[in-house]
Amino acid sequence: MNDSQPLVEVTDLSKEFPVGGGSKVHAVEHVSLAVGRGETLAVVGESGCGKSTLAHLIIRLLDPTSGSINLAGRDITNLGPRALRPHRTKMQIIFQDPFASLDPRRTVGRAVAEPLKVHSVGAATEIDEQVKELFRKVGLEPEHTDQFPHQFSGGQRQRICIARALALEPKLVIADEAVSALDVSIQAQVVNLMMDLQDEMNLSYLFISHDLAVVERISHRVAVMYLGQIVELGSRADIFENPKHSYTKRLLSAVPIADPRLRQRRPLLTDEIPSPRWGPGEAPERVQLVEVAPGHFAAVE
Amino acid sequence: MTETKPLLSVRGLTVTFDDFVAVDGLSFDLHEGQTLAIVGESGSGKSVTALSIMRLVTLGTRAKIADGELLFRTPDGSVIDLVTQPEAVLRDIRGNEISMIFQEPLTSLNPVYTVGNQVAEAVMLHQGLHRKAANERALEMFDRVRIPEAARRLKEYPHQMSGGMRQRVMIAMALSCDPTVLIADEPTTALDVTIQAQILGLMRQLQDETDAAVMIITHDMGVVAEVADDVVVMNRSKLVESGSVFDIFERPQEPYTQALLASVPKLGSMAGTTKPARFDLVDFQ
Repeated sequence: MNDSQPLVEVTDLSKEFPVGGGSKVHAVEHVSLAVGRGETLAVVGESGCGKSTLAHLIIRLLDPTSGSINLAGRDITNLGPRALRPHRTKMQIIFQDPFASLDPRRTVGRAVAEPLKVHSVGAATEIDEQVKELFRKVGLEPEHTDQFPHQFSGGQRQRICIARALALEPKLVIADEAVSALDVSIQAQVVNLMMDLQDEMNLSYLFISHDLAVVERISHRVAVMYLGQIVELGSRADIFENPKHSYTKRLLSAVPIADPRLRQRRPLLTDEIPSPRWGPGEAPERVQLVEVAPGHFAAVE
Repeated sequence: MTETKPLLSVRGLTVTFDDFVAVDGLSFDLHEGQTLAIVGESGSGKSVTALSIMRLVTLGTRAKIADGELLFRTPDGSVIDLVTQPEAVLRDIRGNEISMIFQEPLTSLNPVYTVGNQVAEAVMLHQGLHRKAANERALEMFDRVRIPEAARRLKEYPHQMSGGMRQRVMIAMALSCDPTVLIADEPTTALDVTIQAQILGLMRQLQDETDAAVMIITHDMGVVAEVADDVVVMNRSKLVESGSVFDIFERPQEPYTQALLASVPKLGSMAGTTKPARFDLVDFQ
């Protein structure tokens, strides 16, 4: 395994959900992307564009309809639960709502210890010490391991989820709208924490978000998704300073800017994003990505 | 700030839930044609303030308006204190004079009635119109909030509409009785960014067309910068700072406001760099 190879490589990945009557929702359509080691790839797009489905496919919470997922040089697309188990330690996911992803009747220390126990990493006393260390790492008091989720604020709960995700020293952390539910000041702290941890542990992030301003802060590269397909992919600067695809431009211009002098009169649009549902025998038109600059791909319109 | 008498004057509003003080001595004025943003983080008391003005806060909760006045200027020019009004008077004011839209349009709409029916019902209830006139009014309102194919969409049920269209229906309903004050509690928070831009644009347009005062409650400084004339910043139940939108964004006086602004990610702030960068956090506590 060579270090210049990407950590995760997704090729031609698709996921269709049958919705009755032979119709299908094409949630993810022929997506190809790679995440390098120590790199943050952000996936942006609006509700229903398939970004969360993509995350769930990569971490094998869902089985793809077609395509392949390569993790650290190994094809994990078709591995069964047992064969997949050692690979699961390398990838972890953090969800949007930290309250929904913590068991309310279990102490937070137990929540963080669980992955260590499941994967039999160390003896009971060692696990205790590791949990305390993880708490310190994410900026929580190690004395608080015997408290319950409701005793923590939203930001602290998300730190707990991060601690749990890091317990097995993963290579890849998928953050699915992980900071979207937090107040801005807390959001900024958690984003800073994620960047510090990335530096410390050489983590790769797949950062799924609809918030372009946060993405601009945290990402090295950005993929823009629309109706299940990637319409633009490039470095942070490519996407934010030199967007090529009309949807990327539209997305960027819609972001409210926290400066009243830049207030703009926008045309009163009423168009909506079309449905990704297709009838029997129908399929969405596949976009063609072309390389408009080195590493910068945009769909032909 | 205009020299006219305020439409709504909140004076020393204090709202308690048992021992907890959710709003503590809050005062501000709302004028005709003004868009005032109340901004703050979760739990700062901004929604409780809105619900207090509607006098909805005490319904079925342990909340009490412990102190303060809510001086509202009625269309005939008399000033009444909403805190002391009986429910019958308030019911006349709600919807007619002061109306409100909420964050999640799906939970505010009845799933088993068509949206047209629900807008018409509001007009029949508040303005005593008959069914036919109310239906016409609903159609007119749908056109006003730029719902395409309004006549057809009146007959749709909430689940058949997208989030942005549902929020337009809520706005249509709220404006159907020509209120003088519109309270919008996080009206775009649940919407996608392109749809949010549409709704904010619509709200500004509607404001130009009427002289209603708008009080928008939000946690999003980007939304504040887009729509507000004036801003009230709240933190931990109290007013921290208030002023024009330019005062707040360009000359924030209070450490809390400064900290809040520092933690807002600004699109374009990273131009010319290639690596991720930490937020410069201002520590204010």
